[in-house]
This record gives sequence, structure tokens and C-alpha cells, in this order.
Amino acid sequence: MPRFSMLMAAALAAAGSLAAQSGRVPRTPDGKPDLQGNWSNATLTPIERPAGRGPTLTAQEAAIAEGRTKARTDSLSRPSDPNRGAPAKGGVSLGDPRLDAASGGTGGYNVFFIDGGDRIAVVNGEARSSLITRPANGRVPPRTGQARERLAAMRTSQFGPYDNPENRPLAERCILSFGSNAGPPMLPNYFYNNNYTIVQTPGMVVILTEMVHDARMIRIGDGPRLPQGITPYMGDSWGRWVGDTLVIETSNIHPAQAVGLYGMSSKARVTERLVRTDERTILYSFTIDDPETFTEPWGGEVPFNRLDARVYEYACHEGNYALANVLSGARDEERRKATEEKKP
Amino acid sequence: MKSHRPRSLALVLLLVAAAGRGHGQAPVPRLASGKPDFNGLWQALGNAHWDLEAHEARAALQLQPGQVIPVPASPVRALGAVGAVPSGWGVVVGGEIPYTATARAQRDENRAKYLERDPEIKCYLPGVPRATYQPFPFQIVQSDKHVMMVYEYAGAVREIYLADPGPAEVDSWMGQSVGRWVADTFVVESTGFNGSAWFDRAGNFHGSSLRVVERFSPAGRDHIWYQATMTDPETFTRPWTIRMPLYRHIDPNARLGQFKCVEFVEELMYGHLRKKPIQ
Amino acid sequence: MTKSRGVAVLGAIAALAAGTGTLAAHHAFGAEFDKDAPVKLQGKIVKLEWVNPHTWIHLEVKNAKGEREVWAVEGGTPNVLLRRGLRRDCLVPGTEIIVDGYHARDHSLKRANGKDVTFTDGTKIFLGSSGTGAPYEAELNRSKEPGRC
Repeated sequence: MPRFSMLMAAALAAAGSLAAQSGRVPRTPDGKPDLQGNWSNATLTPIERPAGRGPTLTAQEAAIAEGRTKARTDSLSRPSDPNRGAPAKGGVSLGDPRLDAASGGTGGYNVFFIDGGDRIAVVNGEARSSLITRPANGRVPPRTGQARERLAAMRTSQFGPYDNPENRPLAERCILSFGSNAGPPMLPNYFYNNNYTIVQTPGMVVILTEMVHDARMIRIGDGPRLPQGITPYMGDSWGRWVGDTLVIETSNIHPAQAVGLYGMSSKARVTERLVRTDERTILYSFTIDDPETFTEPWGGEVPFNRLDARVYEYACHEGNYALANVLSGARDEERRKATEEKKP
Repeated sequence: MKSHRPRSLALVLLLVAAAGRGHGQAPVPRLASGKPDFNGLWQALGNAHWDLEAHEARAALQLQPGQVIPVPASPVRALGAVGAVPSGWGVVVGGEIPYTATARAQRDENRAKYLERDPEIKCYLPGVPRATYQPFPFQIVQSDKHVMMVYEYAGAVREIYLADPGPAEVDSWMGQSVGRWVADTFVVESTGFNGSAWFDRAGNFHGSSLRVVERFSPAGRDHIWYQATMTDPETFTRPWTIRMPLYRHIDPNARLGQFKCVEFVEELMYGHLRKKPIQ
Repeated sequence: MTKSRGVAVLGAIAALAAGTGTLAAHHAFGAEFDKDAPVKLQGKIVKLEWVNPHTWIHLEVKNAKGEREVWAVEGGTPNVLLRRGLRRDCLVPGTEIIVDGYHARDHSLKRANGKDVTFTDGTKIFLGSSGTGAPYEAELNRSKEPGRC
């Protein structure tokens, strides 16, 4: 690229919204902000705003939330009684609704395996109460009547939740990670391994999600979309640079994946924006445009923070005893119930 | 008498220039750093994925005793010619994989019990170098700071670190890869394998001490000469090498597809645990 | 939508039962383990499967009849441990541990969740700081003895 064009591009970038910060943003040889490396979107801030909250927390409120998490982790890390017996029949609580929901009363496993985020999301200096910023109430908008019918029809299933492997969540089957980690949109899962590796070239950007080693291939440019009937997991993405912002448009998301995001459909158009705001942060924002499902577009913002650690292989299916255990557990329970029912 | 030397010299120079362009192809593209630019969609041709050693065609991946000669085992019989194994000219330099006696017996047992043992059947990660020559494309995404290879088969991925992070902290299916440039060749050393992957569909295997050194050498814009040397003293009597070309997909519509085969093998692996197993 | 896609979506709907779509944990521990069948195990580690999605610690215990049997205890993802600076070989086979948790729902299996896995002095088997630059560091409670992480 002629040196003059590079100077012009740099000048335009400097004049843009990054202003004085652009000098601190590393750039690739083709002049774009460098988004490469390892990042984490782990945070304490929930996706939807809790009832009765405004959009931001005061510094004090954020500190209290972070302190509460630390206190719980510390208390769960203290030595246990070596003479303890088996836990209570009927289950236990870990004192955290999210962990309790995940563990189904069994207590799951020790907290040293959990790494769900220990900081409130801060965007433009604001401590956020939710990742969703649009609509203004910080919650997913109501679904359309059409969507409610579609989802209701799906719920009346001939199968029970443990009848077949296909009736289990995608994450439990090791097809995709929990929640919307790989996305799009790429959202934290609030448990662990909320990590990504980005590799960036002029023609292609790869975003590797640690779970389940899923690589989103984002071609830079614009081109034909997949036909409507072809819906791969993570959809079909095209990216382009608008100044210093990487804008990614995705369509054709697999319906089994889409529905996991508040009932979204595979007709949705997901737009993401990545801006490297400083040495250690990418500001990630997303919009969901799915008029068949939601009464209005919605979206939000999540900081991706530099991860000073490695992203490791997550070979999920290869070690997935859990799925077999869940299915055989259901079968054994059915057999036991059938035997009991036969008793006089 | 006119001297013919200037014309011969010109011819020699032309030939040398043509060789440097790789058989008259387009020149090797380069990154700003001057290193060869391997970005793009690549795939191996040939039949290394069936069997690294030279082999003739045979009826199926699993045979059973027949009346006259072995015949396809019942589970694969219905595939007919689609399930047959094509011949291959072999990609092992020197011909044979130099197993120890014990390891060779294990390899032969892998072949006899193929359907129970090949990790590819269960859509397990392919390991290295098998990921390279699976019958699926893979994308090389290469910047000056990072190199990642994304394989269509099973969505396998590996990052090839350009800065050595030290010994692998954990064993894995795809190992830990560290790459460096030696002139125009990208040399990749991989360690930290868990020993569970195979090399092909012919029972060829290794242990967790495996160390692989791969060499990616450009031959013009659209070809890479690929070489991989395997060292595993617990399994082989000496290091051994495979060599094959990699071909760039030049169709502008070509793109990395998705082959998330985990759900394709659920009936195989978990069908017996259904509430109503299929007969 | 093809039938196979339809069923796949049904599976995803089952996971939505909690209401907030993305919160569904990757699998319901309550589906794998029986909260009405608590267990306590004590014995020496015979094998450590350092795998995803869950580590499995195998330990040899004596059952009610005094016979030896091996139980497998499910933990979390090893990737988190690696980023805490822990390595697989820090937990040496032969080390004695205490586990309390719940029996697999399939009662024919000798498996349990590792609700709380400790050494015989009560300290947790894996501790370490997160590598994510958190505002605080978890308190370390590591012994320097071999076999301890």
C-alpha cells in the first residue's frame, strides 16, 4: 500500500471516535486496529437487568457486588471438616442461585473449578447493571404472537427431556458451548472458560471460542449469503471495517442454536461491532434483528478484557461421560420406578 | 563463427527463473514481513487418510471370514462400493512405518478390530498430522503474530504458537504446536499428544511420547510441499517421514464447510440408552 | 425445517424450561446425580482423568462389606485449573482424599459428583489464583507437600 494512503488512513482513524486513544491502539500492517490475541468476556453483570435497577451501578454498588462474590468464593475455599459425613438427603444449596440451578441440588463440584467472572462490566466509565442496553429497560423485548405460538408448539413434545440424546441441550451433547459463548452474539456463560482467541488478516478474521473449540470464520468483504435452508451452527458471517470498527453481519444461524437465545429464529440478523478501545480492552456490542420473534430489535455491550493466560484445548465430546450418565440415569430411574409400581 | 554461448546462457537463465516460479505457476504471495503467505483454503489429495503406506484396494474397512476370501463385515456390507477402500501409492518415505515388534502387533490388531477402535468413527479429534490429510479442506489463517489452522473435519483447530511457551502443560488430542521460519519453510514442532489419535484408517497409531515436526514449503502460489516426521521411541524403531503436496482451493466459491459430526454419531454411541432404542 | 432439525430444536426448548434462555447450564447435574442418594468416600487416588468437559478422579475405597472397589468422582473443567497454575501431576496417585457428594442417578454405576473433594486434613485438593487479572486474588491455601496442588 502506498505510504501516502497509509498516512491518510491513519489520519482518518485519529479523527474518528477513538480520538486521543488511537495512538495507544496497536495496528496490523494493513493499518487496522489489531484485535488479535486472547480475550475474556467473563463478568458479574447479568445479560438482563434485574428488576428495579437502573442502567448503571455506583462505584460502591459495584464494589459490594464484587466483594460478595469474593466472600462467597473464599468461604467455599476454606478447609472442610475431615470428619464430615455424606451430605443431606434431598440436596444442598451453594448459596448462589446460578450455581444451585446448575447443580440441581447436588452441590456440583468445588468452587476452584468455577471462573465465572469477578468484575462488573464497565463501559465508557459506567458500571453496568445489564449487558442489554436496548431496549432502555435492559431486558429482552416481548416476543411476537407468532413467536409465542411457534415456541408453544415446540414445547408440546412427544419426548421427555431425557428420552434421547437429541432432547438434551447442545452443550451437554458437546455440540456447542453453554449459553451463547460462540454466538453470535458472543456472551459470557457465567461459569468458566469464557475465553477467545482472535487471529486477524486482511481477508479473514477467526474468533476461536474455547468451548467447544469452535472457530467462527469471518470473511472480510461482502458476498452472497447462504441460501435460506442452509443454517450452520454459528451462522454465516461477513465482516467489514468501518473506520476503526469491525462490523460483522451474521445470518443463517442453526435453529437449534438460535432458539437457545430467548427463542430467536434462524431468520435473525445479528450485527456485532468490535472496537479496540485500549491496550487491554475490546468493546463488543451486538444487535439482534429478528422481527419474526421479537417486537423490536435488541442488543447490548460487553467488554472483552485481555486474557493474560492461555486458551487450552477443550475436547468435549472425547471425554463426555456425562451425557451417557444422564441417559443411563434416566433409564435406571425408570426401571426402579417400574419395579416399585409393581410392588403390592 | 558465431558463438552460441549467449543464447544457451539465456535459455539456462529462463529455465532457472521458471523453476523458481514452481513449474511456471504464479509466484508465492508474501506478507509484509516477507514471509510466504499461506492464507487460504487447502486440501490434500490422494489416499493417505485411508492408509499412509502403499496399499491395494480392498472390499471394506472391516472384513470377516468369507466362504472363499474375506468379505465385508456385516455392519458395513450395505455400503457396497461406497464403503470400499481405494488403493494408495503411499506417502511414507522409505515405504514402511518402522514399528517395534510389539507396536506392529498392536497395529495389526487395530486393523482386525477396526470398527471398535478408529477414533475417527466416533468423530474424535484427528490429531496431528492426520488433521492435515483428512478428506476435507482446512483454512490457514496467518498474520505476522499468529497462525491458526482450522479444519473442516470435526471443527478441529490448532494455534501454532510463534513464541515457544515451553513444554506442553497438558496432554491433548491436537498437541501443542510451535512454529518458526527456516528461509521460506514454516517448520512446526508438536508435542504434548495424549496418544489417543490414529494416523489413518488402517490402524496406524502412536503413543503419547510422539513428537511431530512438520515442514510447509511453498511451491508457487497454489501448492505447498508438506512433510511430517514422527518420533516416538516407544512405538517406532526410528523417526519416519511422510510427504505429500497440499493444494490450494482456487474456486472463488470454495469455503470452509462445517462438519460437526458429533451429532452424527449419537445413535452409534448412545442409541442403546434411548428410552426406546431403535432396532 | 427438516425433521432432524425440528427434533434438535425440541431438545433446545427443553433446556429453556428455566425461562432465561441463555442461562441453561451445560448440563443438569440433577439429571446425572441423585440428590436423594448422598455418599461419602475416602480412599487413595488410583487414576486422574484430566479431561474435558469434566475431570474424573478415581479412588479406591472399602465398601460396607469391607471389599475394595473403585469409584469415579466428577469434577470441573481442567482448563480452569491450568490457568490457576496447577498441573496434572500435582495430584499424585496414592494420595488419600475424602469426597462427599451424590451417587450417580444410575445406581449401578460407582460414580458420584465431587461436591467437596479434600485431603484428609480437610483442605481442598485444588487451589490457586485465577489468571484473569481479577481485582483480587483468591487466598492460597497450598501445602508444599508432594501429592498436593
